[in-house]
Amino acid sequence: MTPVRGGYAVDVPVINVSERARLENATVWSTFQAFAVTLRRLFTSLFKGDTPTISYPEQTRPYSERFRGTHILTVRNDGSLKCVACYMCATICPAECIYIEAGEHPNPEVEKFPLRFDIDMMRCIYCGFCVDACPEEAIIMSREHHQSVYNRSETIYTIEKLMQRPGIDANGPGYRPNKTMAEARIFNKEEQKECAFPSAIQERHPAVLYESMIRRRE
Amino acid sequence: MPKITINGQIYEAEKGRTIIQVADDVGVQIPRYCYHPDIGIEGSCRMCLVEVKGAPKLMPSCATPIADNMEVRTETERVHQAVRYAMEFLLLHHPIDCPVCDQSGECWLQDYYMAHAGHDSRYPLGQKTRRKKASDLGPLVKLDQERCILCTRCVRFTRNVTKTNEIQVFSRGHTSAIGIFEDKPLNNPYSGNVVDVCPVGALTSSDFRFKVRVWFLKGTASVCGGCSTGCNLRVDHSARAAGGGIPGYSATDGKIYRTVGRRNVEVNKSWLCDEGRLSFHTLERWPRLRHASVDLSTIHARFESIRKQHGEDAVAALGSAGNTNEALFLLKKYFNGRVDFRLGQEVELYQQRQDELLRRLDKHANTQGALDLALAGGLHGLRGMRELAEQKKIRGMWISFHPQLVGEDPPETVGELERLLAALEFSVVSTTHEFEWARSASVILPMAAWAEERGTYTNYAGRVQITARAVMPPGDARPLHGLMAEMLNLAGVQVSTDPGAIFDWISRETPLYSGMDYETIGMLGAAPAQTPQEVV
Repeated sequence: MTPVRGGYAVDVPVINVSERARLENATVWSTFQAFAVTLRRLFTSLFKGDTPTISYPEQTRPYSERFRGTHILTVRNDGSLKCVACYMCATICPAECIYIEAGEHPNPEVEKFPLRFDIDMMRCIYCGFCVDACPEEAIIMSREHHQSVYNRSETIYTIEKLMQRPGIDANGPGYRPNKTMAEARIFNKEEQKECAFPSAIQERHPAVLYESMIRRRE
Repeated sequence: MPKITINGQIYEAEKGRTIIQVADDVGVQIPRYCYHPDIGIEGSCRMCLVEVKGAPKLMPSCATPIADNMEVRTETERVHQAVRYAMEFLLLHHPIDCPVCDQSGECWLQDYYMAHAGHDSRYPLGQKTRRKKASDLGPLVKLDQERCILCTRCVRFTRNVTKTNEIQVFSRGHTSAIGIFEDKPLNNPYSGNVVDVCPVGALTSSDFRFKVRVWFLKGTASVCGGCSTGCNLRVDHSARAAGGGIPGYSATDGKIYRTVGRRNVEVNKSWLCDEGRLSFHTLERWPRLRHASVDLSTIHARFESIRKQHGEDAVAALGSAGNTNEALFLLKKYFNGRVDFRLGQEVELYQQRQDELLRRLDKHANTQGALDLALAGGLHGLRGMRELAEQKKIRGMWISFHPQLVGEDPPETVGELERLLAALEFSVVSTTHEFEWARSASVILPMAAWAEERGTYTNYAGRVQITARAVMPPGDARPLHGLMAEMLNLAGVQVSTDPGAIFDWISRETPLYSGMDYETIGMLGAAPAQTPQEVV
């Protein structure tokens, strides 16, 4: 079994299903073996604390670098929006959830900027087409996916909310096809370190745990 | 007539025409930037080069007059190569700022690049020459020198059409650029046309700029309602008549974003005046009427009771020259000819020019149509009707009022209308907006405004043209011909609400319009057999 780097941020061994079926060798005896596994898991999780479940939402799993979560509007070095209101994202958007109003920028070199840039997060299907279409990398996605609000109107994200909201860069940026991950910085702030990707080493993925069980049996 | 062969096909064409004109007539596509049928020939862009048999070099088809037995080829490898080189030259210092350029989506550079060029630039973006970005040429036009390809269409427009010469080419050689003199901004009454003629994003309209991307828009061929000239135009509005069509835009009635001149050689060539171009903004000036408080059967019953009590003549109607022929015709039918349309000086003014080019002094679109339908009878217009109402000879009236799209309605007209409403026993005002003077009417009905109804206008020269519905009327508002058709149905006359069917009825009863229908009028309008003499 060779470990591959797939959609997960950790090394996951490939399972050969027919191989596993041969090893498991289905008989009455293997049924009791299975019970033994269950029993062993019960005791290990009870007394050794080796559990695959986590206490969500206090604990979370790491998400992929390509996770398509809530959008981020990126900014230039001077803190102004990168967006030039070209409507490419609004044009490509299959859910028609992006509303832009363009205005005349005081600097004729920039020329155009968004007076309003609203994304209706209830309509958004998180396909990431807007990120693909953007010629300026002004819109990217984050790994944030918590959308619970008290009021329906809060699900429409305005420029301010898309630009900076609490915890916007806590998990690092998500889907951002035009930049290599090492370059991934959101706000170009001096003090901001290279985006830290939560390592999978501290937290084991359930798939990993299950595989370790199978390996032990071998 | 000389015979000319284009791509192996033989055509006959008039002497004196150029190759590109013949090609346009027969549908052979030749790329061009500087050639425009209405502003004279320049031959500067070198896009329209074609191969002429016997000529040593490629010929610019816009400037080459046809000759007998000329053999022209537009699809050879030599021609394609020439067009590719011309495109590469024109795009050499192009900033490629399509994302922020308003022309993007209807840009001829984009179109011809995709069709004929497709090359990579030999200049890296950072080394391209920078020029002056967005600067005002006048109140309506912005210039971006970086995007300009120096086709000089705008220069020739101000030179040949308006004869004001505001836009010029300054400097020479690689430093030449379009510009204006410091003390002479581009503020002639036709300045918006330079935006229409500019094939690239160099000239953009300050009014339309950044409002919306053009690919969200839908164009509807229509006629200007600003004055009696009846210029042909295209209304660009949100893509679906109902429901917006622009992502995130949820207006249920649609919205007009701009109007663009539509070519009709008989009326306006390709031009529009600025007043007419921006006249759709007039519809946003006041709040719209949305709700009808009374239904039409009540109004009909009330008119009937007045007729019974005080005689047939106690009921009359006042249309306006902003109404369509269909509406005025049905109005006349319902009120048995006791209808007038003259609010002021329309009939005296409607053929008088305001300037050399297009504008006319009467700011109503359909004065000739109302005259053709014989609406100027013995009632002597608004003033006469007001006097009759004050003498209690008229007691009930239907007043249909369209605000002038260009300029203000004269205060005398509004004053007369107020006095008329005060004198009437029962008054129905069908209008488009919430006007102060209409508050005292017995019933106010919301009516569809210009670009919200289909119908015909007859321009000063008697040309019947179709004005189309681009957007939906808001709320309960309905076109006047629809309201009148329902009133006639209540009165026992079966009428269709379809304007085409109503026009068929008009053409049967009006000798001037006989033989016309919406199909023969078509996109460019139809002139009646005997054209009235123009008064200059």
